[in-house]
Amino acid sequence: MIDENASARLTRRALTFAHRVGLFLAMLVICLPGIWIVLSSLRPTVEIMAKPPVWIPQELSLDAYVAMFSGIGKGGIPVLDYFRNSLIISVTSTVIAVAIGMAGGYAFARYRFRGKSGMFLGLMLTRTVPGIAMSLPLFFVYARLGIIDTHFGMILAYVALNIPFTIWLIDGFFRQVPKDLAEAAQIDGCTRWQAFWQVEFPLARPGIASAAIFAFLTCWNEFALASQLTRSVNSKTLPVGLLDYTAEFTIDWRGMCALAVVMIIPALTLTYIVQKHLVGGLTSGAVKG
Amino acid sequence: MKGFKPSAPILLLLPAFVVLAAVVLVPLLLSLYSSFTPFRLTRPETFFVLIGFRNYVSILSNPDFWWAFGRTVLLLTIALNLEMLLGLGLAMLVEKATRGQRILRTLMMFPMMFSPILVGFQFKFMFNDNIGLVNNALQSLGITQNAIPWLIESHLAFTAITIAEVWSSTSIFAILILAGLLAMPKEPIEAARVDGCTPWQTFRYVTWPFVMPFAYIAMTIRSLDVARAYDIVKIMTDGGPAGRTELLWTLVGRTAYSDARMGLANAMAYFSILLSIAFTVYFYNKLAAARAQIGAEW
Repeated sequence: MIDENASARLTRRALTFAHRVGLFLAMLVICLPGIWIVLSSLRPTVEIMAKPPVWIPQELSLDAYVAMFSGIGKGGIPVLDYFRNSLIISVTSTVIAVAIGMAGGYAFARYRFRGKSGMFLGLMLTRTVPGIAMSLPLFFVYARLGIIDTHFGMILAYVALNIPFTIWLIDGFFRQVPKDLAEAAQIDGCTRWQAFWQVEFPLARPGIASAAIFAFLTCWNEFALASQLTRSVNSKTLPVGLLDYTAEFTIDWRGMCALAVVMIIPALTLTYIVQKHLVGGLTSGAVKG
Repeated sequence: MKGFKPSAPILLLLPAFVVLAAVVLVPLLLSLYSSFTPFRLTRPETFFVLIGFRNYVSILSNPDFWWAFGRTVLLLTIALNLEMLLGLGLAMLVEKATRGQRILRTLMMFPMMFSPILVGFQFKFMFNDNIGLVNNALQSLGITQNAIPWLIESHLAFTAITIAEVWSSTSIFAILILAGLLAMPKEPIEAARVDGCTPWQTFRYVTWPFVMPFAYIAMTIRSLDVARAYDIVKIMTDGGPAGRTELLWTLVGRTAYSDARMGLANAMAYFSILLSIAFTVYFYNKLAAARAQIGAEW
């Protein structure tokens, strides 16, 4: 009897231990590449290239960042221009996509109409067109209209890229707001328009904010379209700028790592803020269709 | 007034349709047309010459294309299944954790924030045969003396790409499956335990059916942009060595922009679009079926 208890306790302890180890290893695999990039951006190139490898960093410095921001000709790339382009394009297209997505998401969440699920699937399917496949006709059309390498062209493309997903997310958030609330407000004398802005919108606001941030990140990270539709500092975004560090046969690893860190920090912060709502929006209606 | 009400949702959806029609549908129709021409960017007059299905015939009889096609399907199948399994495992590990749930969840989302191009670059750096972390670690640990040519040998390159792809997208599965696990009512599990189910049976017949819709949501989201892999491959190997990791998407890009053969590339692009649509519709249907099943049981 006592033996049985002891062995059960032992098994339990072993399981807890195995769980901890598994969790630790999984997190290590997830975090290691990122940590490695940050570390490499702080080390001198000699150390990155060293053979045999130097495991414990001998000296850390911010040289790579200084070089990056010190402009063309001094080992830098026009990173400020890229940053500005990325910011303008991402923010503008996010605002427009969310406005359109709110209208569409509200329609899907609150109205019944014919062909609804077909329409929803149809919207999603426009998102499946691979960026590179999309870029061929867009390249051609944009070249004709003369909007290649402009902010306007990129914004237009990104709005279209983001609409389907924004609608999906915002639809989910509006569904979580009970219908009765808006109806009660309408009985109390609000118009539908007022009921929307004063009751439903404030309740769905955190969700809409996450949809916005998700759209922003999609633009911020997009490469396939941007690499073909941008040409110069007029509209090149950061992901395309990353390629400036690759020459024909050599790659400036340290500089690339530094730019990677610059790219990842805004994304990291924003994702951290919205993580909770994002999951809620995507899965709403997973159980009750 | 009678006919007004049903038009409200249409009115609300109108802006979305207008933008998508202008930026997606019209260009797609244009590219469909140009896939029937020998269009080259360098020779605009070829845009108006119709050659019927010749582009499609030349694609279908081109072994390189079929290799790229097969490789793309293979990569997607392996990657999606692995991501699903690992995501499930990760979600269950995190769900079992008693402390630090919030920090664990944040760490779990970490790879989602990396743009695919960054993922590609970062793994290119780590798998570099000379200075990469992987080879350095293997050599320092004395597992191998030689530098393993990760991105140069074709099978290894494919493996490296799969690893990068799996690393970047497992977290989407993990997050959504975790949401499913957390949303799940506890009574059925307890009931199953009382009835004498083994842990495996409990998982297989109680937990899994409930979590399935969440897994399919993740699949649907993933299949919406499976072409993200383009960025990764473009950076890591650019289809090399000698076209051995060429995917449909990199092939389209190369044909269009390096060879400037737009007509041919557009014909190929249509295959990649159909492939994406097939994946999405498949998972969307699965999602609907899984939802219906849950609805019946709970």
